[in-house]
This record gives sequence, C-alpha cells and structure tokens, in this order.
Amino acid sequence: MGEKLAENPHDGIAVRGVARAFGSVEAVRHADFDVPPGSVTGLIGPNGSGKTTLMLMLASLLQPDSGSIRVAGHDPVADPAAVRSAMGWMPDVLGSWASLSPRTALEVTGRMYGLERATSATRAAELIDLVGLGALADQPARVLSRGQKQRLSLARALVHGPQVLLLDEPASGLDPAARADLRTLLVRLASEGTAILVSSHVLAELEEMADAAVYMTAGVTASRDDVSRAASAGRQWRIRSVGNAPLTPLLLQVGVDAARITEDNRGVLVSVNSEADAAALLAAVIGAGAEVRAFSPALGEFEHTFLDLNRGGVQ
Amino acid sequence: MTFFGGLGLVIGLELRQRVRGVAWYVLVGIFVVLVAIVTVLLWLATRAFDSNDGAAGFGGWLYSLIVYFVLLLGTLVTPAFSGNAINGERDAGTLATTQVTLVTTGQLVLGKWIAAWVSSLAFLVASVPFIAIALLLGNLDAATIAISVLILAVELGVLAAIGVALSGIVTRPLFSIVLSYLVIAALSVGTLIAFGLLGSVTRSTVTETYVGFNADSYDDSTGQPVDPVCMPAQTNTYETPRFDLYWGILAANPYVVLADAAPDGFDRAGNPTNLFAAISGGVRFLQDEPELTRHIDDCAQAKNGVLGDIDGTQSTLKQIHDRAVPSWYVGLGVHVLLAAAALWWAWARTRTPAKRLPKGSRIA
Repeated sequence: MGEKLAENPHDGIAVRGVARAFGSVEAVRHADFDVPPGSVTGLIGPNGSGKTTLMLMLASLLQPDSGSIRVAGHDPVADPAAVRSAMGWMPDVLGSWASLSPRTALEVTGRMYGLERATSATRAAELIDLVGLGALADQPARVLSRGQKQRLSLARALVHGPQVLLLDEPASGLDPAARADLRTLLVRLASEGTAILVSSHVLAELEEMADAAVYMTAGVTASRDDVSRAASAGRQWRIRSVGNAPLTPLLLQVGVDAARITEDNRGVLVSVNSEADAAALLAAVIGAGAEVRAFSPALGEFEHTFLDLNRGGVQ
Repeated sequence: MTFFGGLGLVIGLELRQRVRGVAWYVLVGIFVVLVAIVTVLLWLATRAFDSNDGAAGFGGWLYSLIVYFVLLLGTLVTPAFSGNAINGERDAGTLATTQVTLVTTGQLVLGKWIAAWVSSLAFLVASVPFIAIALLLGNLDAATIAISVLILAVELGVLAAIGVALSGIVTRPLFSIVLSYLVIAALSVGTLIAFGLLGSVTRSTVTETYVGFNADSYDDSTGQPVDPVCMPAQTNTYETPRFDLYWGILAANPYVVLADAAPDGFDRAGNPTNLFAAISGGVRFLQDEPELTRHIDDCAQAKNGVLGDIDGTQSTLKQIHDRAVPSWYVGLGVHVLLAAAALWWAWARTRTPAKRLPKGSRIA
C-alpha cells in the first residue's frame, strides 16, 4: 500500500502508507504525512491511536510492516546509522542512567554519537545551560524530578545537533516557565531549519508552536481533505460581555436562531459556519449595543479539528 | 566511532552503572574474608600434617580450593549482576536511548557481556594474595596456576555470557535472572544429578566365575598353600551400575572442566596433591568399563605360588588419570559454543529496527 518514495525527497520526515501490527493489533494502519525542514508539526491523536508506534518507526527502532519512511532523506530500515546521526529522539518513557550525573550522561551520549571527548564535553555544558539544569549538572540523575529528567531527555535528543527532531510528549511534567522555554527553543530550532515532529495531548500548547498538524485516529492519519473539511466545519464562538450581562435576548433580537445558542457559566456560545459569519455576528452584536469584552472560537483550531475528526470518524 | 570505541563506551557505562555500588564491594569483602578463613584453616592443617610427611605441602590443595571458591562465587553472583543487563535497561527506559545512537547492537551486547565478565574477574583478582600464600605452602607449580586461572577466566566468561544473553532473550528481568541461575545450576549441579541417576538406573549383569582350592598346610615363610587342590568353579551373577556410559555428562560440568584441564597434580607415589587432580582422577576412573565377565582363579594363583599377590593389578590414581581420555576441552568447547550461541540469539532479539517484539514488551 502507498506509493514508494524517491530517495531524498527532502531533509525532513516523509511517511508514505506506513503500517505496523503487533500480532493481531494493528497499531498503525495507514500513516501518510510530511514534516518539511523548518517546520514544527504536531502529531495529534487520542490515546492508543498509534502515535508512539509511529514515533518508534521514525526513530529507527521498529520496522514498518509496509510503506516507506524517509528521515533526513534516509530509510531507517535500510540505513539506520545515517538516520540516527541526523535524528534526535525524545521518548515518552523517561529513562536516565540513575547513577550518572546529567553532565556525564550527556558526554557519554555525545561520544556514542561519535563526537570527540572534548567536543562532547563542550556540547554537554552548552546543553545543560540551554535546558537550565546548571544547579544539578553534577548530581546523580536519580535526584532529578520528573520535569528535570524531561529536560535532560530533551538535551540528550539535541546532543548531536540533529536535523530532524522527534519529541514524544515533551511538555508533560514541565512547569509553565519550562513549557514556555521549550516552545521558544523549538521555534528557534525550526527557524534554523530543523524538522520537528511533536506529539502531545495538550493541544492548546501545540497550537502555540506548531505550524501544521498530523491527526491520527485508530492508526490512520487523516487525509488533507478530511482535515480541511473538519477545520472549516461549523464551530462555536464564545461571546462574553462586560459584567457578564445576559446576551441571549440581544442575540435573538439580531436574528440568531435559538437553536444555535448555548449558555454556560462563562458566557454564551454561538454556532457559526465560517469566519466571515463570525465577523458578521460580532458586528451585529456590537451594533445592537452589547458591551462585548471577549469574542473568540470556543476551541483552538487543533482541538476543534481533532474533535471533529474523531466525532465524524475517519473512513 | 570505531567498533572498539563504541564497545569501550558501553563497557565503561555498564561498569559505572552496575558495578560501582556498595553491594559489589560488600560481596568482594565477604569473599576475601571467606578465603582468608579457608587459608588459615588449611595452614593449620598443614602444620598438623607436617610431623607425618614434611615433604608434602598443602599449597596445591589450598590453591585449588581458592579457585573453586572463585568459580562458586561466580556462579552465585554473576546471574544476579548480569541477568538483567539488557531487559533491566529496557525497563528503566535507557536501552532505546542508547539504541538510537550510533552504538550498534553488537557493541551493546558484547560490551555488556565484557563488563559482566570483568566484574566477575574481580573475585579472581581479590584472591591473588591467597594464591601467593598457597605458593609459599609448596607443592604447587606455575603450570597448574597458569592453566587453571585461564580456564577459570574462560568459565567465568561463559557464566557472564549466559546471564547477559538471557537478559536479551527473555523480556522480564526477574525471569531472566532466575533462568540464568537455573541454566548455571543445570551445568554445575544438574550434570551431577543426571550422571548419578542415569548411571544407577542403567545396570549390567556381571558374571563372576570363582575357582577356589583346598590345601592342608601353608608354607610358613611365604604364606602360600602347599599342594592346593582345585575345587569346581562357582558362577554367580550380580548387577553393576554403568557410570562409564555417562561420564560425558560430567564433562559439561564447569568444576570438572577446571579440574580436568589442570596439569599433572600427583606426587611420586601417584597420589593427588590438589583437588583438581583428585576430581579429575575420579572422573576419569569412571570412564573404565566394568568387567562384565570376571574370572577369579585363586587355585591357579595358589599353584603358581602368587596367591594374594596384587602387585601390577592395582593402578594408582595417577595411572588411571594418565591412561584415560581427557574431556575438558570437549566440555569447555561446549560451554563456549553455548555462550556464543546465546549471545548471538540475544543480539538477534535486541537488533533494531526490530521486526518482531516479544509479547507484551515495549521497546522504548
């Protein structure tokens, strides 16, 4: 299944018709997507939709049953060494050598990527600064908290300056400041030409850094058409007024159908078909004299698309 | 990165991760204390025997006991330290992060094996002072030391390989540790049990013919009968166990391999001067097929005037040892092949990108 890829389509990630089953469980049934260099792409899907299996195949740890993968232009099955020297992977399972300090662990990892002893020591020092582990750099890793291990894991994925970065749930366990740092870092790496694939459940957060998304449901990535249909499907906009004055009577007055209005504790939700309709609605409400203090989509774009795709069911 | 560069990284990491712990030093300490006690007791025993035979030193016995101690400790400790080398890392989530680097599966498996081997050799190093004492006690030659230390080192390597390999083949660390113990116990104890049981169960019938004599008087000076008269031959049968058919099983025992490989350890009278010679002589004695038709003609002996003369019919242990087939290289060869095959299997199971995954395992 799926068309074959030519060598070197681009230096990011290219996946065509990839499938992988574990016995009778088809973890990934049909994955098809691209992550071009310089892009941060979110990998979005419910639990058990095959995200981690897909990541493992990209990370050259697992062979696909069918389909083809190119990471930085190389096939992870035929030439894992080439893929590994160009790819950084941060697993969802946090593992660290318990008795080694972050500095030693990073130095050893650097040397495992073939860096010279001196180079890998310099690189380790840079990365410790970058992820903010300075105070704990020489303590054994067993004293690190979950969030600190997460940062160490990120640093390890960056040791050899990879062109392709695979991050499996990188933000879980991080405090808000560290999340902001992560976001800044990923955006910077992307601007330097790195192709980044991030899987996460926190869609609002992906929204802030990802410029594209791959939606995955039951082992299948959603096609471009499905995604654009879902993204443009009717969605709810939230309207809040100053002092939370009731808005429903006013909405009915400007001709909004009662069936499109839902009220909750945080204001009023109105179903709208398109962004143009939303703009028209805002103009009408303000024209009718409402003191609007907030007017926004009730859900982020990724979340909306994700929910809509899952609700409709792909295929 | 060269092959040996990557191998060295894995070995260094493994030694730092697993060995550099308090538990390890405690074990080596206990070992040293035990060997010290054995040394002191044997030294006291030597002094007690000195009055009987000043020429015989107990160095050989002490040395062979120390070597067996190291092997025993190796069989007890190596599975615990190496039996989760690969699957334990998988559980801790650090295996996959190594596998995505340029370290190959071969470097990973071999590096872990060598690290486990080196840590079991630490016991041998800790026993060096006692080996020196054994040398002072006498009756111990350099060839015995060189060969038995070499064979011991190889056997410890085999034990380490079994532990590391099973940790790559079996998914669950606890199960692979237990399995390593069972495999090693099968080699060191299981072979003895199998040998004993099979040898006892397989029996052959011995037919013995005995010709007695009557004599009225005996010569006072020689003790031989005067004018013996032969009695009719009596035949009786009895069963005998056939250990000679199964001695090959013992060849697979690491303790027997070690004993059998050690060179000549007998004194001038043909008696063993160390445990290796005693065990090896005993095992080789078992190779002799029992006589299934025995003919004992006391009457003919009496007529020839040689009744009760046993010279030339009884062999010393050294003679039995020297005329039998040495088996240690077969046993050692089997062990080395077993270890190599197990490591290869572990390599095939750990290779990435993985085609098949063991049931219920995550490779991350």
